Amino acid sequence: MVRLVSIGLTVFFMCGLFPPVAAAERLRLATTTSTEVSGLLAELLPPFEQANDCKVDVIAVGTGKALKLGESGDVDVVLVHARSQEDKFMADGYGSDRRDLMYNDFVLLGPPHDPAGALDTSDLAEAMSKIASSKVSFVSRGDESGTHVRELQLWQAAGLVPQGDWYLEAGRGMGEVIIMANERQGYTLSDRGTYLAFKDTVDLKRVVAGDERLFNPYGVIMVNPARHPHVKKDLARKFLDFLTSEEGQGLINGFKMAKEQLFYTH
Amino acid sequence: MNYLSDSLLAAVALILSFDREVQLAVWTSLYTAAVAIVIAATLGVPIGLWLGLKRFSGRRVLITLLNTLMAMPTVVIGLVLFGLFSRQGPLGELGLLFTPVAMIAGQTVLAIPIVANYVLACVNGADQRVIDTARTLGATQFQASIQLIKEIRFGVMAALIAGFGRVIGEVGVAMMLGGNIRGSTRTMTTAIALETSKGEFVFGLSLGLVLLCVALIVNLFLNMLQQR
Amino acid sequence: MEPLVCLKHIHFSRGNFQLSVESLELVPKKVYALTGANGAGKSTLLKIMALLITPQRGVVQFPGLTSGDADQLRKQVTYVEQSPYLFQGTVSDNLAFGLKLRGVARQEQIRRISLTLSIVGLKGFEQRKAKELSCGETQRVALARALVFKPDLLLLDEPTANIDVNSRPAFEGLLARLPKYGVTVVFSTHDRFQAQRVGAELLCIRDGMLQAQDTLCLF
Repeated sequence: MVRLVSIGLTVFFMCGLFPPVAAAERLRLATTTSTEVSGLLAELLPPFEQANDCKVDVIAVGTGKALKLGESGDVDVVLVHARSQEDKFMADGYGSDRRDLMYNDFVLLGPPHDPAGALDTSDLAEAMSKIASSKVSFVSRGDESGTHVRELQLWQAAGLVPQGDWYLEAGRGMGEVIIMANERQGYTLSDRGTYLAFKDTVDLKRVVAGDERLFNPYGVIMVNPARHPHVKKDLARKFLDFLTSEEGQGLINGFKMAKEQLFYTH
Repeated sequence: MNYLSDSLLAAVALILSFDREVQLAVWTSLYTAAVAIVIAATLGVPIGLWLGLKRFSGRRVLITLLNTLMAMPTVVIGLVLFGLFSRQGPLGELGLLFTPVAMIAGQTVLAIPIVANYVLACVNGADQRVIDTARTLGATQFQASIQLIKEIRFGVMAALIAGFGRVIGEVGVAMMLGGNIRGSTRTMTTAIALETSKGEFVFGLSLGLVLLCVALIVNLFLNMLQQR
Repeated sequence: MEPLVCLKHIHFSRGNFQLSVESLELVPKKVYALTGANGAGKSTLLKIMALLITPQRGVVQFPGLTSGDADQLRKQVTYVEQSPYLFQGTVSDNLAFGLKLRGVARQEQIRRISLTLSIVGLKGFEQRKAKELSCGETQRVALARALVFKPDLLLLDEPTANIDVNSRPAFEGLLARLPKYGVTVVFSTHDRFQAQRVGAELLCIRDGMLQAQDTLCLF
């Protein structure tokens, strides 16, 4: 009897290996955490999946790792936000088709009592140098994500090299970094979407927003099938077409989080 | 933030609501862990028996190595197998990265040292006469080993339970090799990690409570088998 | 008569312990009593004959048995330890172990188990838990477990050590009757008179040597 039950269970479990949806074609998308965590993809993907009878497998990682997965051919499409790295990716021949998808912006966050006095200025570079000279904690992603890359560019633009006890390289996702900055009552740079998700749980306030240097464009790239023959190039191209079509762009513009529009199309 | 009590309530609501996403994550956790344990048992039990019964030079080194492997961080196992399964790696052709198969492989590697070590300890603790007795009654070495397993079956069961607990509760391998794909490789643990990164602490913690409930049910079931 | 077992030029040593058997031939359907002081090597010799220990030199042959490899020979030769180990489960499970290995049908298993248990004086013990038996009962179950598959050669290490004095005569009577069932028996004992009572031929180990079969055993 026990034997029967255990054999039954084994068969039952093995069946799970081959889920019923296995018939559909699968497209692999490596993307940044911001698009997945904000819930944008949950709005954007189902219409495409239904229209093309396929399933999009989303692997949400930092921009740096998403591009690495593209380089090694482990995914078919990457959706990232770090223009300089995207250009290098294309120049090195890893991608075959890159399109501007949408944009939003980064926000510089800080504690409400603003110990560094960064609220006094509307100039981003000045705010950054005030934070650095006041030695109030700044939590950096430190993980080569798109946000991290941008943060480093901002320090560079302000003519600073961030180092010292106040500069904390967390090496974690955006959400965790916002929590850390909140607990340490420090500053951090975040994408708008993740900030909106955390707005109600943390005290942090927007210090600077709307500066053109905080412009955050997202690009979508198809991995080069010439380099990786297994890339599903037809499905990937359809996906890119869908995202940049009127329907796709409409969905992006219509996506709201905490009653705020999160992503804008060009 | 009074989220501990909130989580408890949310967990109850979550279990009662039969949320499809949660069900899928529970299911993925359960079947990958179960398949991994079945494979780990077929490899780990013989390894434990072999190390426990045979005397050869280098045996102590192997045992020390096995003990060390128990301390291997899941992320390291994930990294090694990532290198194997990636399109650039030796098994890249199979396209297994970010599939349940890759997760099962990682969890199997994770569980084998645990199962083997527990079995080894059982064999060392078992009555030394079992093998000889079985052989005098006409058993081959293989049949005698099977009899030994029957004699120490409680210990072997404990080994499998320990391995199962480790595998179903780990997040490193599932995240790296599975990729946390919704509806495919999202397990209880990677779902918790995701909810945490979203700032949904209450939901994350309630998922954790669901995971504990699932583990409790599995252990009750195994316990029932053991009582027989 | 063709011998059942032949031992030739056997030499075994481990540490200070040494055992030599120049030549030994046992004929079928007889009872042999192996005597010798403590530590003389009685158990070792029995284990060599049971193919559990391989001596450094010499050969053990079974001219009376259908030839085969050691695994096949072990199906016909069995050995019961001085303090035997019983498997978990019932007495019946223990007796069935050897029968299953020999592919005996289920009905035949039940018949033989019941018969053998009554031979060793444990009628009706089938469903008793093996681990809950007394020493003497354990000893007899172990004997029954060996007898049940009708071995050609039965090797017993101090079989009466754990049996109380009152039960000994019955046990010795059983040993004496075994050749009638076609079983050759070798048992080790400290008690020369026990050997006489069973009508066994004496084998004796002295100074690490098995003495020639015709020499008188005095110790």
